[in-house]
Amino acid sequence: MTIVDRSAPPVRTHKDNRKWVGKSIRRVEDPKFLRGGGGYIADLVTPDMLHVAVLRSPHAHARIAAIDTVAALSAPGVHAVITGARAAALCDPLPDFGPDPANHTWRCLAVDTVRYVGEGVAVVVADDRYLAEDAAALIEVEYEPLDPVVDPERALAEGAPLVHEPLGSNCAYDRTFDFGDVETDFAEADVVIRDRLRWHRSGGQPLETVGAIADFDHATGELTVHTNSLSFTSYLFMVAGTLKIPTNKLDIIPVPAGGSFGSKLFATKPSVIAGMCSREVGRPVVYLEDRVDNMSNCDHHGSDRVYEVELAMMRDGTMRSLKIDTIDDYGAYIQFGVGHHGNALAQVTGPYRIGSVRYRVRAVLTNKNQQGAYRGFGSEVNNWMLEQMVDKAARELGLDPVQVRRQNFVRTFPHFIPTGNVYDSGNYDAVLDQALKLSDYDRWRAEQRRLLEEEGRYIGIGLITAQERSVFSATEFWFWFDEPGAPVTSMPESVTLKVDATGGITATLYSCAFWGNSPETMVAQMVAEEFDVDPYSVSIVYRGSRDGLPATGPGGSRTTVMLAGAVEGATAKIKAKARQAAAHLLEIDPDDLEWVDGGYQVKGVPERRKSLGDIAIALHLFKHSFPEEIESGLEDSKVFDHPYTTMPSADRKDLGVFYPFMGHACHVPVIEVDIETGGVRFLSYAAVHDCGTLVNPRSLAGHIVGGTAQGIGTALYEEFAYDDDGQLQATSFLDYLIPSAMEVPELKIGHAETPSPYTPHGIKGGGEGGRMMAPAALNVAVNDALAPLGVRVTELPMTPDRLLTAIRNARESR
Amino acid sequence: MKPPPFHYAAPSSVAEAVELLVAHAAAEPRVLAGGQSLIPLMNFRLAQPGHLIDLRNVAELDGIRVDGGVLVIGAMTRQSVVERSPEVALTAPLLAEAVGLVAHAPIRNSGTIGGSIAHADPAAELPAVALALDAELVATGPEGTRTIPAAEFLLGPFSTALRPDEILTEIRIPRRGGGHAFVEFARTHGNFALVGVAAQVEIEAGRVARAAIALTGVAPTAIRATAAENALLGAAPGAETIAAAADAAVTGLTPAADLHASAATRVALARSYVHRALERAISRAQDRR
Amino acid sequence: MTGQKRHITLTVNGRPVSADVEPRRLLVDLLREDLGLHGTHIGCEHGVCGTCTVLRDGASIRSCITFAVQADGAEISTVEGLAQGATLHPLQEEFWEKQGLQCGYCTPGMLMRACEIIERNPDPTPEQVREEIASNLCRCTGYQFITEAVVDAAKRMRADSDSTTGAQT
Ligand SMILES: Cc1cc2nc3c(=O)[nH]c(=O)nc-3n(C[C@H](O)[C@H](O)[C@H](O)COP(=O)(O)OP(=O)(O)OC[C@H]3O[C@@H](n4cnc5c(N)ncnc54)[C@H](O)[C@@H]3O)c2cc1C
Ligand code: FES
Ligand code: FES
Repeated sequence: MTIVDRSAPPVRTHKDNRKWVGKSIRRVEDPKFLRGGGGYIADLVTPDMLHVAVLRSPHAHARIAAIDTVAALSAPGVHAVITGARAAALCDPLPDFGPDPANHTWRCLAVDTVRYVGEGVAVVVADDRYLAEDAAALIEVEYEPLDPVVDPERALAEGAPLVHEPLGSNCAYDRTFDFGDVETDFAEADVVIRDRLRWHRSGGQPLETVGAIADFDHATGELTVHTNSLSFTSYLFMVAGTLKIPTNKLDIIPVPAGGSFGSKLFATKPSVIAGMCSREVGRPVVYLEDRVDNMSNCDHHGSDRVYEVELAMMRDGTMRSLKIDTIDDYGAYIQFGVGHHGNALAQVTGPYRIGSVRYRVRAVLTNKNQQGAYRGFGSEVNNWMLEQMVDKAARELGLDPVQVRRQNFVRTFPHFIPTGNVYDSGNYDAVLDQALKLSDYDRWRAEQRRLLEEEGRYIGIGLITAQERSVFSATEFWFWFDEPGAPVTSMPESVTLKVDATGGITATLYSCAFWGNSPETMVAQMVAEEFDVDPYSVSIVYRGSRDGLPATGPGGSRTTVMLAGAVEGATAKIKAKARQAAAHLLEIDPDDLEWVDGGYQVKGVPERRKSLGDIAIALHLFKHSFPEEIESGLEDSKVFDHPYTTMPSADRKDLGVFYPFMGHACHVPVIEVDIETGGVRFLSYAAVHDCGTLVNPRSLAGHIVGGTAQGIGTALYEEFAYDDDGQLQATSFLDYLIPSAMEVPELKIGHAETPSPYTPHGIKGGGEGGRMMAPAALNVAVNDALAPLGVRVTELPMTPDRLLTAIRNARESR
Repeated sequence: MKPPPFHYAAPSSVAEAVELLVAHAAAEPRVLAGGQSLIPLMNFRLAQPGHLIDLRNVAELDGIRVDGGVLVIGAMTRQSVVERSPEVALTAPLLAEAVGLVAHAPIRNSGTIGGSIAHADPAAELPAVALALDAELVATGPEGTRTIPAAEFLLGPFSTALRPDEILTEIRIPRRGGGHAFVEFARTHGNFALVGVAAQVEIEAGRVARAAIALTGVAPTAIRATAAENALLGAAPGAETIAAAADAAVTGLTPAADLHASAATRVALARSYVHRALERAISRAQDRR
Repeated sequence: MTGQKRHITLTVNGRPVSADVEPRRLLVDLLREDLGLHGTHIGCEHGVCGTCTVLRDGASIRSCITFAVQADGAEISTVEGLAQGATLHPLQEEFWEKQGLQCGYCTPGMLMRACEIIERNPDPTPEQVREEIASNLCRCTGYQFITEAVVDAAKRMRADSDSTTGAQT
């Protein structure tokens, strides 16, 4: 029996005369960055610190027979050399939310066996990074090479070399979920569209790598870590547990990050390495990954999937059901389990009314750097898969690709999809209409025909409509097992607001690292909205985990919504006290006051009012003006919990609500494929997004363009390719190709605003949308361009080599 | 990614630099020009020279002049200077066009013409230009100065006819008439090209009187496409001639496959780009007459 | 022996600087660690990303693939030299106005590169700006607002210099 609780939070009414929320103000965080005073992790390095270099494995799979550190230890400036074996004595395994942590143990340095090229085998601690690298080169490691397993499908075959012997196979997870009546829907369908699709791995690759500065105080037993990962307030045990330090002796302080895109989410390893080394040498120690560390050993490569998909359709274009069978190559470890597929399941049916879904996921371990988070966290792959299927269906059924999509749109909200997740609100027709107009779709269709006929040019139009889930909830950790190993349900975010004696407002954020998103601007605009102050007058402070309120930090496009809830909650508390104080000062009943223009005034008597400043100074300095029960000061906090989560059913036929605030977008790139070179060039690109109420439209537009640029990278350029021996082929930016300004077109951006009924102001998250759409859209576009040649590309990235090969094959098979 | 330690000297004359190369021969010395290839290699610790001899103070190696119809460029002349030089634009427009395709402006602000040619990357533009224009490379060593024809200079990937104790001092490029073109296919702007083509074509009385074509990215070094040149010679420069030359250019090529392109893809790119280069060079040659 | 230091003198943001450096010390480390100028960032240390861009005698270079000794006698400009006290440089103003940054990590390199672009071409088109800034990677913005910022900063700088010349005549 599938029992689910479908209780939803109350529907809100949003005020429509907002003053600051919705304005494209200049970001409050920018001046320091513009002046070169960002205060990134590397900027905190001081001369007294020691530097770490990691010796990385050159082998994909090998037993470590011996390590000789004598020469390294006696090299100039060296303070310590720590091998994997020693590290295993100093630290417990790293936290692993995977299916079977004891059978695929993950440590900060490899102990007996290296499992991918780039895995750390030893670290050197020296006076500076130059000397540390000199010494690392002197460490002699004797490897006994083992057969590597590189291809995920071969990894599943009988007799494949094992990445982790104790696991007994390379399949870390295999489960099939049925949501709804798949068999009936398939039986009733007119046609079944089938395809095999391949998405290769890319990664966030922010321009700043991950770094940590650790300072262990042997006198107090306390460890302080500055890092550009999260401050882990809610997840402090991840680092503390590994280092075997009590959480109340650990302070993790977030510093601004030079980009993350997910790749700094729970980047525990650098903090653990720095912490371990600092404790060993008794000095502050800095570990900054260099680019090769980050590319080969960052624990944050993106999804790497093979799909076999079936889409059941009626001839008139009605979508009925989906069968998805995916193999995901997780690399050598599986820190987040298959959470990437929870993200996919949040919006597995896209914006369409599809009645049922079968989802099989097999998580495979191979000799590669492990998967972590990358903008979309696996949902972008699902968007791509679904849109390729819809596109193929339109082609095979001879239907108009726009009409097929439109005809299946969800139109009533809230809408529960077969997996149990909810789409809170949306207006997909409006987004599509705007995109058709903005992209000049009809003109391009005509132009496409003309250019092919008259000039033999291959133009493709890649219209896709897809979802952008936001504000993830921890119940995702429950799905995968009947007895979840990590049955967490909390994902809070906190803000403290303090009004000082002069009315100045300071907001304190916890755990919430600046990652290139705009938490300060968001909070400043929301505080300004609440208190009718200038957003630039709001001071924003970040607090580390010590004395920090519960907080989870950015991820899953949650920051803005969660901060909005926390600001709203803290504001309510402050205003309640301010109202009481004002009532007392004005000698009137609190209920007769209303908040108007930055203060409380007597309803209907605007002359009788107390501004926030008047109230604040009284509360701070004139205690005796108030009754006994009113305490001095004007400060309060809100721990805002996830506003809409319901539990999965025991049989996992319904996963409950876990990603409720559902954005939507339509992307329309127009491209030209040069069929002689396989090069792809943009002629136009329109993108319309609906992320609910906009806080700062220009910031959101920036995320759309930036995410699209990354999606272009995923679709055309970026790949962490490994050869058959497990050697990573792309170990520099000459081979891992990040798009430059010449590869990214100018976007025409449109916004639609369908407020969420359940969040403050109706905001939805919008941090990942560009990358969740562009790969799907570009694949559709390229296939549209090459359709006259009978070519359909089913593999990303669509490199010139892959396109030329596909064109050649199509010609030969004709 | 920090470079390994090395001894360092910054002499102010070629003679002194050569002396240092000889004196420190045991330490695997290397010349440092702009450093735009060498320092990245050192940061990856793929190059670990024991001694670096920095030529930045050797004034005699810097400069561009035209000497009796021959363009003479000092080895240490920065690529950005070559790019903006009116002498180069006038006497060797092929070089001017190609140098703008080398990396990005900030790298050309440091990188030198001599460094690029001495480095002999099979994907690099400038060695191909030297080859196509029959440049002469002047080298000075302990035994004196010699002149090496470009055709004999490039021996293999990152390998040249320069002896370990020799310094490339000058690139001498004879003036050529007709039309030129340098075209290439790079996956991202400014990155090394998968395939590049240099072409210089002279047309007299409606026939190709002289054709020089050099390719990058399809062999261990830049190579001349002799068969394609022969196919052009004496022919009327039309579409058919160009297509035949493009086919000839790639006949027998066996490029190595890598991450970015299979052998077949490189061949296809080369054919297409020879085509494009010839179309452009021929149309310029025709305009010029 | 190999660690033997060299004495170098250079100008950084108009100030004379001298330092004893190991020959292998990268210019970016001299600036960041020895001179405390943290605005110049490190992204790749192999010359591709451009986050380490500074000006040498007015020309943009990668300070991660330049030895400090190679800058002996040179005039180096970094992002720290752009603003005059409270007054931001027009490029900084326009980057702020147009939201030409998100994480800010590429920003100093972009700003220095843009200085050179505008110096060489005071009236660049958006297409020209795109081609020229392709030397520098940005992982956040997708370049659109950076392009707008550079075009508009150039406009602002032309107006500024017109008004100064105007005042002189
Ligand atoms: C991101 C990036 C992209 C690039 N893209 C391209 C590209 O697209 N095309 C391209 O062609 N290049 C490219 N390069 C390389 C660049 O052009 C280099 O400037 C050039 O290859 C070497 O010139 P250099 O003066 O910097 O030489 P250095 O790096 O100083 O020296 C290179 C080698 O040549 C030797 N050498 C230098 N000068 C002499 C001399 N006078 N006599 C004897 N030996 C000498 C050195 O000892 C060293 O072995 C790129 C570089 C980077 C960092
Ligand atoms: S850090 Fe210098 S170019 Fe990337
Ligand atoms: S703003 Fe983050 S890299 Fe450009």
